[in-house]
Amino acid sequence: MTREEFENNRRRFGDDIDAWPAPLRGPALAFMALNGDADSDTALDRFVRQAALVEGDDRALARKVMARIERGAARPSLLPRFLVAPAGIAACAVAVLVAATLAGYQVARLQDQFQDSELLALAAGAKLPDDGGPAIAADPGEGDAL
Amino acid sequence: MADEASRGDDELLARIAAGGQAALSELMARHGRGLRTFATRYLGHAADAEDVVQEVFVTVWKQAARFDPGRGRASTWLYRITANRCIDQRRRRALRTFFGLDDIGEEPAAPEANAETATAARQELAIVRDGLSRLPERQRMALLLRAVGELDITAIAQVMGASTGSVEQLLVRGRRALRDHLADAARGRERKSS
Repeated sequence: MTREEFENNRRRFGDDIDAWPAPLRGPALAFMALNGDADSDTALDRFVRQAALVEGDDRALARKVMARIERGAARPSLLPRFLVAPAGIAACAVAVLVAATLAGYQVARLQDQFQDSELLALAAGAKLPDDGGPAIAADPGEGDAL
Repeated sequence: MADEASRGDDELLARIAAGGQAALSELMARHGRGLRTFATRYLGHAADAEDVVQEVFVTVWKQAARFDPGRGRASTWLYRITANRCIDQRRRRALRTFFGLDDIGEEPAAPEANAETATAARQELAIVRDGLSRLPERQRMALLLRAVGELDITAIAQVMGASTGSVEQLLVRGRRALRDHLADAARGRERKSS
């Protein structure tokens, strides 16, 4: 809408934009919002309000709210609320870290035990039992006659 | 007029705190549409917004006794609860999307999107909606609280947990971005028609 068109419409329909025919209101508010007049912020806010308006069934809303109240379940989400809050996410991260550390220690301890027994066997000069572990080669000179 | 409405809201909340379901229905009739509009345009997802507004009124039912009229208006309290629920909802959706549980993108909030291209007036409104959806979250929230909730700067600051100065900045930036978007769209239309 140009300034000339806007002024023509204002003379014709009056100063109150809400009283203008519906197809002219949006362009008129857009013109007012864009043309830097004193009330341009107010015009833009009205324009946003008009554009944002969402139709909905108020009775259905009331029915659903009452049903939720009667069920006593304010939140149907599967995720507990604290899990999506920053503190919950941080707590979960710490729990995962602690669990991973403990699991790591357990695995490492088992591996250490196996290595310890191998080293002990080596030190004693004995062969390892055939329980799946790699056998230690016997001393090639062992048992040979001098 | 606004004060009368505010006093009416205070009375309704007092009745809700005393267990009056009729008062809750009246509060929903007064504020349901505004809260739904705010949530829908902030979240960009009509189903999530519906869920949020239901949660808000369930919370009001449970916590109406905690509302203190001395600390602010009832509408400010309602929008504060709604804004917090919207932020939670956004986080939940982001989390679900991150874990691949939910890959639904933003759903058009207005089902009449195709029909509205039919007339120039509706096109203008669609351009504003598009501009709104492109604004950064906090600018969008501030602008919606001002335009849809009709809250003043102090109330918006209370809702958003920000200073009045930063709310003013958010509004200035949001309005400027929206005007730029409208001007770009107008220039685009002129180029098409010439």
